[in-house]
Amino acid sequence: MSRLRPRATSAWLSFPVWAWLAFFVFTPLALVVWYSFGEKPDLFTAVSMDNLSFDRYAEVLDGVFMSTFWATLRIAATGTLLCLLVGVPFAYWMAVKVDPRWRPLLLALVLVPFWTNFLVRTLGWQIILSPNGMASDALQWLGILSGPLDVLYTRGAVQLGVVYNYLPLMILPLYVVFERLDPSQREASRDLGAGRWRTFFSVTVPDTLPGIASGCLLVFIPLMGDFLTASVLGGARGTMIGQVVARQFTSAQNWALGAAMAVTLMVFVLLTVVLAAAAFLLVRAVIRRARHLNLEVTP
Amino acid sequence: MSATRRRTDPVNLALAVLGVLVFVFLFLPILVIVVYSFNTGRLLGAWDSFGFDAYTRAWENPVIGNAVRTSLVSGVLASLVATVLGTVGGVALARARSGARWAGLLTALLAVTLITPEVIDGIAILPWLVTLGTDGGLSVVNNGMVRLVIVHTSLALAVVTFIVRARMRGMDEQIEEAAADLYANPWNRFRQVTMPLAWPGIFAGALMAFTLSLDNTIVASFIQVPGYTPWPVYVFGSLKVGLRPEIAAVSTVMLLLTLAALAVVWAVLRRSGDDNAAVASTFTGG
Amino acid sequence: MTRRRPPATVRVLAPRAEAGRISRRALLGGFAAIGTATLLGCSGSRTMATTAVPDGTLEDRLNVYSWGDYESPDNIRAFRSSHDITVQVDSFASNEEMIAKIGASRGTSGYDVLVPSGQFVPMMVANDLLSPLDHRLIPNIANLETAFVDQPWDPGNTHAVPKAWGTTGFAYDTTKVDGNPTSWRDFLDLAAGQASGSVSLLDDPWEVASIYFGSEGIDPNTTDPKALDAAEAYLTSRLAPHVRAFNSAPTQSVVQNELALLQMYNGDARLAFSESDDPDRWRFVYPTPTANLWVDTWAIARGAQHVDAAHAFINFMLDPETAIGEVDWNGYPTGITGQRDLAEEWELEMLDLIFPSDAVVSRLTPATLSDAQDRLTAILEHVQAKAG
Repeated sequence: MSRLRPRATSAWLSFPVWAWLAFFVFTPLALVVWYSFGEKPDLFTAVSMDNLSFDRYAEVLDGVFMSTFWATLRIAATGTLLCLLVGVPFAYWMAVKVDPRWRPLLLALVLVPFWTNFLVRTLGWQIILSPNGMASDALQWLGILSGPLDVLYTRGAVQLGVVYNYLPLMILPLYVVFERLDPSQREASRDLGAGRWRTFFSVTVPDTLPGIASGCLLVFIPLMGDFLTASVLGGARGTMIGQVVARQFTSAQNWALGAAMAVTLMVFVLLTVVLAAAAFLLVRAVIRRARHLNLEVTP
Repeated sequence: MSATRRRTDPVNLALAVLGVLVFVFLFLPILVIVVYSFNTGRLLGAWDSFGFDAYTRAWENPVIGNAVRTSLVSGVLASLVATVLGTVGGVALARARSGARWAGLLTALLAVTLITPEVIDGIAILPWLVTLGTDGGLSVVNNGMVRLVIVHTSLALAVVTFIVRARMRGMDEQIEEAAADLYANPWNRFRQVTMPLAWPGIFAGALMAFTLSLDNTIVASFIQVPGYTPWPVYVFGSLKVGLRPEIAAVSTVMLLLTLAALAVVWAVLRRSGDDNAAVASTFTGG
Repeated sequence: MTRRRPPATVRVLAPRAEAGRISRRALLGGFAAIGTATLLGCSGSRTMATTAVPDGTLEDRLNVYSWGDYESPDNIRAFRSSHDITVQVDSFASNEEMIAKIGASRGTSGYDVLVPSGQFVPMMVANDLLSPLDHRLIPNIANLETAFVDQPWDPGNTHAVPKAWGTTGFAYDTTKVDGNPTSWRDFLDLAAGQASGSVSLLDDPWEVASIYFGSEGIDPNTTDPKALDAAEAYLTSRLAPHVRAFNSAPTQSVVQNELALLQMYNGDARLAFSESDDPDRWRFVYPTPTANLWVDTWAIARGAQHVDAAHAFINFMLDPETAIGEVDWNGYPTGITGQRDLAEEWELEMLDLIFPSDAVVSRLTPATLSDAQDRLTAILEHVQAKAG
């Protein structure tokens, strides 16, 4: 009886979503894939599909795309790692150490930058990092720098900008998992003689793996496609891959090459997600097994 | 853990210091924007003197007003469309048998929309909309507002669907089935049983959709049509020209409005019975 | 989805569920068909949205797509209030960017008035990106000096009228750069020396390549593959590592003293200096042996919906009083008769940055659009990838 009515209509209910995705998301994406096999026939035609080939992919793998791509990957990986290094202790502090009465307020405070326009936040950094800006003045006053700060329009500025822009995306999932931790487990671990670091790494961290994994993906994926941070803070030196892809469409008018770049980027991002998921499952399995053995041995 | 021990413990002290530093880091640029909104100079970054000129100039500039209005209207419309579609989709997914192939595929496709870099969405949708609008004869998609609603709905659809699905998963299905056994027709069942239960999820989804729309710059900059330039695209465009303090002034006003709206939303979600962690996770789309 | 269900309970429902599945497949199939048809169609047809026809009544909106900070806000405001037309001015950084936007949207861009550089006009006409002008609605064309009408790139001014002209050079911060640079050679030496890491280039393929061609005494319009190869080699390996930014309107970098050596248009340099707290710190050079002599034009976009307002706007801009206001704002001479005298009468600042001397003008080279354009674009891309 209980399986009866509601389920029968369930697939049918999803119909509008399928329709929307097919018409407004995947048809355009298919167009991009299609364009990637084309060519730019002359100066003022963006794309022609008369001679289909894989030449554009050869161009992608061979050209400026790859060097910018590796630079972007470095920025993204470093950015994710820095977010993790700051995010884990911070979320832990907020979710475990802070008096529970204050947590909602602090959480709201973390959300405020998240709700302020992305570009405007980044512009704030542009002002701060300018050679005449307050960071420059402060560092000179402290005697750390002898001349004006020379960081705006460098890769360093972009790195700072992305850590800033994506940090809340790392903190929030971590906060959620930390807050849902059961304190009695930690107490049990301590009662059994484990030190605080051992407790942290063998009890707390494994339980927060889902949060760490989703935080890393939430930071890494949008970062690979970001070009606003680099447009504001990067100048010529912090160019990111999103800008290179966009430029094929916004100024070079080479849709075939741009499309091939987009497909390459997309495949890379998909692979990252799949690999991350696989790694996550693997680590979890290993940890589970390790813990299981411990439990049997300890008594 | 006693209060005295917490105060003296070096690790806890270090954590607290880090916490304060992170907050300073998070708020520094926002503070700078607020301060520089009172710059009377012509360029945002070059401080001249203190005054409210930027606010009056922004108020008098019809293009800025129009950009903010476009953002708000397209945000509301896109979040409405995305919420209707996403609620239906989320309910469908939550009710799917475990292992149903269509549900797995739909989830995967929605996940793909979440991880597609925005720049790819932008370059993909523009030729398609142009094709529809010229070759396809659908001149309605030449309208800037329609374009914004379409792209912002696509961006938010997956988030709304997943939030609603998460909410419905935890719901006791027997309530619905009981209603069905009592011969409530599907519409009444949906309206009187499903909706009230799913409502916090739907509300959070709508809120996320609105925020995503309001903050979207990249896709919107590809498809924008003058007259329907959303606010972030206006800001992005002025990067090339030189940033004016007006931008900081409008941002400051919008920040204050957002804070007020957030406070209201938080109160509503808390009243509906979620704990803080649940509220936080709905806010972030988890 | 219904297959694994226990048969006894499903029998009644199966047809409905089945129906749902079939129609979903049918619909998806339909979408796929539409998609494929469109894909195939895309390569061939290029339908353009049509331009509205002037009907004598001004519309209440006008959308202008122009270079950054090019039109005087006072003039825009005056036009807005005298005709009650909401004017939106959006900006682009290069002709390529503007053409990409107009071309990709096939007449649905929403823009009415465009500001292409002269050499791009023939190609835009050929590709159906511009609408012809109705001279009856622009009587002020008569105010243009004869030297500026009827240019080779637009005989009879059928699609474009001159808006302003200017040239390219570089600005430098005298507190960071010594010496007295005069040529593109000096520019390259400073970029590799004292100004290294503090250099800004225009985001324009022709302009960036012309730095090298100028320094070597090669015609900047060259299409010689060897010269282009040499330019690419030099620019990517010897100039790019010292470049900090690519910016077509680097006013802000001057005002905030962010950079030391900036390739700029003369009028932009004037605008930037006039806003600097310390204008004496900056100098502008009209470099030898040659540089671009460009003419920007007013044109109406294909698919424009506010054509009456667009013509009225262009006519308004060709009025001598408006035009001198433009000169005062952006620092570029217009082609309107008697502007130099009017500029002196109005006591505009930094006249030498508005009106280059005859000696300078006589050595300038108008940029042309040639087969080398694709190559120049690729060179700029490589320079940008290697920068920093």
